[in-house]
Amino acid sequence: MPLRRRDNLLTWLVVGPFAIVLAFPFYWMLQTSLKSELDLYNTENNPFGFGEGSPTLDNYRFLFGETQYAHWLLNTVLVGLVVVAITLAVSLPAGYALARLSGRWGQTLGVGLFLVYLVPPTLLFLPLSRVVAEVGLQDRLAALILVYPGFTIPFATWLLMGFFKSIPRELEDAALVDGASRLRTLTRIVFPISLPGILTVVIFTFSLCVNEFIYAIAFITSSDSKVVSTGIYTELIRGDVFFWGALMAATLIPAIPLALLYNTFLDRFIAGFTGGAFR
Amino acid sequence: MPRRRRRDLLEERRFLAPALIAPAVLFVGLLVGAPLILSVYLSLTNATAGSLTGDFVGFDNYASQWSDPNFRTAFKNTIVFTLAANAIVVLGASVLAHFLIREFRGKWLMRFLVLLPWAAPVALSTIGFLWIFDSLFSVVNWTLKELSLVDQFNPPQWLGEPNKALAAITTVHAWRLLPFATVIMIAGLASIPKEVDDAAKVDGVTGLKKLWFVTLPLQLPIATIAVLFGIVFTATDMAVVYILTRGGPFNSTQMLPMWAFQTGIQGGSLGEGAAVALFLLPVLAIVTVLMLLFARRVEVT
Amino acid sequence: MADVYDVHGSIGEEVTGTRTTRRELLRRGAVGSIVVVYGGATAKSAVGGAPRFRNRELKETLRIIQWSHFVPAYDKWFDNVYVKRWGQANDTEVIVDHINVNDIPARAAAEVAAQSGHDIFFFLAPPAAFEDQVIDHKEIVQAVTRKRGKIGNLAFRSTYNPRTKKYFAFSDNYVPDPANYRADLWGEVGIRPTSWDNILRAAPKLKAMGHPVGIGMSNEIDSNMALMALMMCFGGFIQNDKNRVVLNSKGTREALKFAKALFEQGMSNEIFAWTPASNNQAMVAGRLSLAMNAISITRTAELVNPELASKIELLPIPAGPNGRVGLEHVMGCYVIWKFAKNKRLAKKFLVDLETKYIGAFENSKFYNFPSWPSSVPNINRRLERDPVAKPAGKYKVLGEIAEKYTKNVGYPGTSNAGIDEMFSKFLIPQMFAEVAQGKRTPDDAARTYDRQIREIFQKWRNLGKV
Repeated sequence: MPLRRRDNLLTWLVVGPFAIVLAFPFYWMLQTSLKSELDLYNTENNPFGFGEGSPTLDNYRFLFGETQYAHWLLNTVLVGLVVVAITLAVSLPAGYALARLSGRWGQTLGVGLFLVYLVPPTLLFLPLSRVVAEVGLQDRLAALILVYPGFTIPFATWLLMGFFKSIPRELEDAALVDGASRLRTLTRIVFPISLPGILTVVIFTFSLCVNEFIYAIAFITSSDSKVVSTGIYTELIRGDVFFWGALMAATLIPAIPLALLYNTFLDRFIAGFTGGAFR
Repeated sequence: MPRRRRRDLLEERRFLAPALIAPAVLFVGLLVGAPLILSVYLSLTNATAGSLTGDFVGFDNYASQWSDPNFRTAFKNTIVFTLAANAIVVLGASVLAHFLIREFRGKWLMRFLVLLPWAAPVALSTIGFLWIFDSLFSVVNWTLKELSLVDQFNPPQWLGEPNKALAAITTVHAWRLLPFATVIMIAGLASIPKEVDDAAKVDGVTGLKKLWFVTLPLQLPIATIAVLFGIVFTATDMAVVYILTRGGPFNSTQMLPMWAFQTGIQGGSLGEGAAVALFLLPVLAIVTVLMLLFARRVEVT
Repeated sequence: MADVYDVHGSIGEEVTGTRTTRRELLRRGAVGSIVVVYGGATAKSAVGGAPRFRNRELKETLRIIQWSHFVPAYDKWFDNVYVKRWGQANDTEVIVDHINVNDIPARAAAEVAAQSGHDIFFFLAPPAAFEDQVIDHKEIVQAVTRKRGKIGNLAFRSTYNPRTKKYFAFSDNYVPDPANYRADLWGEVGIRPTSWDNILRAAPKLKAMGHPVGIGMSNEIDSNMALMALMMCFGGFIQNDKNRVVLNSKGTREALKFAKALFEQGMSNEIFAWTPASNNQAMVAGRLSLAMNAISITRTAELVNPELASKIELLPIPAGPNGRVGLEHVMGCYVIWKFAKNKRLAKKFLVDLETKYIGAFENSKFYNFPSWPSSVPNINRRLERDPVAKPAGKYKVLGEIAEKYTKNVGYPGTSNAGIDEMFSKFLIPQMFAEVAQGKRTPDDAARTYDRQIREIFQKWRNLGKV
């Protein structure tokens, strides 16, 4: 039908430019990562094309063969997953409590939790280094696992609080009337319905962890235990020499799977809003 | 019987609520609250070079920073960057969310492309921009030169001239936050109950009118939250400035977190650095509270 | 043809197994530079899983952290060969961690806050601010002095605090800072960059040819060093020999005027946006005609573009009205924290490292010059014999530069905490950039920054450090 086609066209005209601007740097990273050094540093060459020695997989081969990149990727994923687990375990009950059970002071506490984000980690990392060392976790991944929930929990609690508030009370009340305890209601009824919310928290929390930089630098120096952000800095930027090809490759590799993952979860997340509890 | 009593206890709101919230408060209190208090203490001392103790100097650090032109630049920039980037983000995200929530061909691909900036770790994607804005190898400049829009030998230095550098940093912030804000906005749009939609259709409210009178008001609370997070993430972020310009050229792109780092860690004046980092706190706190109140007020139930 | 990656000196020929693979890759010219990195990065994985020579637990542990050397082969040698041998000889397991040079201050601060970390911590500039957190390194200095004579003046002024009478760091090496110039281009213009005046004369012509001069004015270390040296050549000093600030002087103003003229006539806007890598990249890409930088430019060129490398030659810092006064490019300073667990072995390690410095000198491809000059005998002959240098013997001038034209940051005073903070805040590049871009007059700039630096000094004076 002509109407649908016109709608499609309009959508493309609007979304298209956004997509191009947002994704262009990644295209550029891909292009750069496939070039040889000789090609890359030649200002005469057309950067959009390939010169002598390109395209080449050498940068990728170097990244995986000669640095511990794969190891850092695993570390990053590990830290992310464990922190997500901890965050969920702590924020689910907290979010629920703030949404349902706490009235006035709940609001205040909610705001208070949010204020946590207002302090830049640029200085918090010093006292935290002390804590980490005292607990014997210096230079271990566990240090990050310990510290990250500090800033993922408030965010997650917030999200879940908002989400729980949007679930009609009638559902829970119905269950309570039927004789179930509050705790049981929580686990049997509320949490399953909030699956989309939980998925959202997973995405956001994981993304917060992967993006973190300062704590990772301050707490961990042994190459085995580095995460992607910090490992790249040490190996691929040596004094005044930047290994651009490998740097670009290193950025591309986590970004694509993560974007795919987020994209997949996004559907479920939205489906949860438009379907589910409201029907 | 003891078992029943315990069950009853958990039934009591008064006990259940704190019990559920306690772990969260504990975590945050220990990992953020305590270091925060220590930072406040440090800002009132002349601690240096990582040492967690120093002599008490009262508000000297705050005073000396306030009179430092670099600090003032950092303060002003923080506000400017944050507002500019988030204005772009809010407008962009609203528009984008509006379209991305529909069904259309190629939607999955478009969404994937839009999500990419958010998926990449900020430290790494900013290095990507460092390369895109490089003084010699910038692809932007190459393109502009090919189109004969700029001087062959003196192309714009995106990171070397104050205004361009500010623009570059704002762009990177906006680029990074746009997907994040879009997702939140989509959630907001999606949560508008179908009944409202149907009611509007019945009432004959469509198109622009619907947008103004129905969609936007309902979106406002969520949009406010998105803006709030955007503001906080921009104002407290150090990575982008650190990687792109380190506060240059001649400290014209300093932002408070970066200046705090440069003063406290690189320059060794820890007390002053702490003071700088904490300057932003009351400002952001006020902004936060105001926006949250606003969000609550415009909440349409 | 001698393989430049061969390990020279007394330290062994142990690691030859992996060498052939790298030689094959070297032949694939286009990816030559990747090979250099191959070498260095293998070190990291090797440290993790290298087999012990003898199958028994080593009694002690020593933990060191240092920067990822720009020459990866140095890290490979240091991590895999040198510390392993030393460890065996001293019944110690030595663990070496690496960190990006920019992250050194953050990690150092974190270790101090945590009161726990590595035994030996490496800085790339004199860490005067950390004086209270480290031991007095006097013993180490004395031990090396017994074997190698007096400490070099440069290292002395960089690591000794005359007010507290304490050696707040131990410097094993420094890197001289030559002028790198394109002999072919300057030949066309008929001038040699032996003085700043010459450079100003030639610069407009070079710029017109599309090859501007490159003295950075950006918030980064190359700019810091080049501009401070430029100032000194004109008689402008940040402090005098009593560590009192004297920035606002005629010499400084002259230097500022000169730099502004040089920028307008011979440089392009990019210098305000430079990272430490920028002048390297610009020169290796063939654009710049002159840069002040350590030999990282020439060494990179030798791998990526040998033909261009043969056109780049080295000279000492150009002469100004006050003569030739240059600075080190970077200064390697080790510290031992007060809370280090193994101070005795840490001290011994440093003494041993400096006493026999030949291995480090050669494996860093002449980047690392010893702070005790006699730790590497026959330096000039070694420089001359560099197998890759084209034209042959071009690195010989480094010896002259190191001996005569390299002063410490803060010359004629010492590298103290005030200098350190001013350095980390890039106040000098900022000053020059503002004048060059017309935002301040030279008089105003000299006055303003003199005041800012005085305030910084006053603060540290109150803390008893200057």
